[in-house]
Amino acid sequence: MTSNRKALVGLVVVGFFILVALFAPFVAPAGPNQRVARPHEPPSAEHVLGSTRMGRDVLSQTIHGTRTSLMVGFVAGLVVTVVGVAVGVTSGYFGGRVDEALNLLTNVVLVIPNLPLMLVLAAFVGEAGPLTIATIIGLTAWGWGARVTRAQTLSLRQRDYILASELLGEPAWRIILVELLPNLTSIIGFNFIGSVLYALITEATLEFLGLGDPLALSWGTNLYHAQETSALRVGAWWEIAAPSLALVLFGSGLSLINFAVDEIANPRLRTLRVPKRILAALRPVGPAE
Amino acid sequence: MVFLLRRLGFYVAAFLFAATFNFLIPRLMPGNPIDTMFAQAGTALPPESLDALKATFGFLDAPLPVQYLHYLGSVFTWDLGLSVKFYPLTVNQVLLRALPWTLLLVMTSSLTAFAIGSLAGARAAWRRGGTFDSVGAPGALMLQAVPPLVTSLLALSLFSISLKWLPTGFAWDPMLDLTWSWASVSSVLIHAVLPVATMALAQIGGYLVTMRNSMINLLGEDYITLGQAKGLSDRRLRLVYAAYNALLPALTSFAMSLGAVFGGSLVTEVVFNYPGLGYTLYEGITSRDYPLIQGQLLIMTLAMLSANFVADTLYILVDPRLRRA
Repeated sequence: MTSNRKALVGLVVVGFFILVALFAPFVAPAGPNQRVARPHEPPSAEHVLGSTRMGRDVLSQTIHGTRTSLMVGFVAGLVVTVVGVAVGVTSGYFGGRVDEALNLLTNVVLVIPNLPLMLVLAAFVGEAGPLTIATIIGLTAWGWGARVTRAQTLSLRQRDYILASELLGEPAWRIILVELLPNLTSIIGFNFIGSVLYALITEATLEFLGLGDPLALSWGTNLYHAQETSALRVGAWWEIAAPSLALVLFGSGLSLINFAVDEIANPRLRTLRVPKRILAALRPVGPAE
Repeated sequence: MVFLLRRLGFYVAAFLFAATFNFLIPRLMPGNPIDTMFAQAGTALPPESLDALKATFGFLDAPLPVQYLHYLGSVFTWDLGLSVKFYPLTVNQVLLRALPWTLLLVMTSSLTAFAIGSLAGARAAWRRGGTFDSVGAPGALMLQAVPPLVTSLLALSLFSISLKWLPTGFAWDPMLDLTWSWASVSSVLIHAVLPVATMALAQIGGYLVTMRNSMINLLGEDYITLGQAKGLSDRRLRLVYAAYNALLPALTSFAMSLGAVFGGSLVTEVVFNYPGLGYTLYEGITSRDYPLIQGQLLIMTLAMLSANFVADTLYILVDPRLRRA
């Protein structure tokens, strides 16, 4: 993957944010809720990204916010992927009634508008904490992954080696875990990265709309507080810019990785040259379509 | 035809599912939303008045199945009850007042993004690996990673607050009485510029990538090579042979996105205080107006399902191969 420049840049950016999240208390110049400056101070040498109305350091708030934002992104992404793959593989492998029922469920999840549904759920829960938000996102967004996984499983299922395993009397769980899943790796990876990105944006949106726990500290709540204290109206653009920039940068990093995964899995879409032997090592067994 | 009927059956099932879900959420959630809703009134009201109030807003003290039947009846007669926040308006009236604004935003932004994105995608695919493609394709993907929340906040901050070129919010100048005069129309248009632009920006990337990928897959087909061998002009090959056929996936994603954009316009509407469905849902949520929230979810689901049905129908009309199935 390192021969692909997009993937490399993406990995560096995402890795950087993960490190920031892990070491937040050590890299942030101040505590996230400490009063260290006067209200609405513009960026300066002392406070690189300025201060909020409460006199908190914007850079420190953004750095600490990285933890929750990334956590929600990865947890929700994991839930989305696991549910999607489980439903898709079961549906595609067993076929028949099971497939019909699961496929119907998948299609229903796909056509019910996600954001309003999540807003309604979050509103009824009331001040949802970050983990609740991650769960809500995870449970409403697995439809796409399930559909893609099912399609790929259906095509893999026709292969001779699966038939051979069945004739040898291997149990279904073994065929699924050992024979099918490894060949679904690129689709699962693509699904996971996309879901993390989606969850990150959705969490920020829910928090911004004031549906989350206002005491939680994430890029979304930072935006929410900036909006609540009319930061924009008084010209304190840095308060909006810092979490926005973090969201955009991290999102772009994920996007680049996804783009690279897509190119490796579907060689027709490639624009950069990747040596054939690297491709051969990365490509899943059988055609990628 | 059979295909369409089956799809229609599916949409009815999906709608029932959503409606049931809508019914169950407030009843299964911890705490009692009905009491929360009337908490302020409750301190000042005797229990009988509170019961009367609940009855007015359509909350029954009946067993769950009876409540459910009652609820389904009201859904199919489209009687969504009274709004708590906008009392004495009904939920229907509140939604009807907001609908045109959201339609304006959704339709204009989607059409703009579809046109620009598809043209750019076709161009990128035609000269694959060229400058336009190498910048445009990853650029489009990066654009998708930018949340509409961020673009709208930044656009508001730059064009409305710093530069003062455009209004900071609402759908028209509140000093004006809304009529079909030029003053009103131009005010509505100016107020729509930023919301439409930020919503379009969020969608362009998706169309570009869909169009590019579907066109690249087509360019390898034999009939394109045949067309080239016949000596057809580049332009004809590109537009009639390739782009027209590549439009199919883009077209379905267009119709499908209409439903999603309904949800997506919410953020934009909140940032710009734009009085559409999304902003109304937001107001309903902040004031715990449960009848309004539930009505919103129903209407948005219905919009999404209709958009999907339109997509299915379009697909059959445009792709003759499907008519046989």
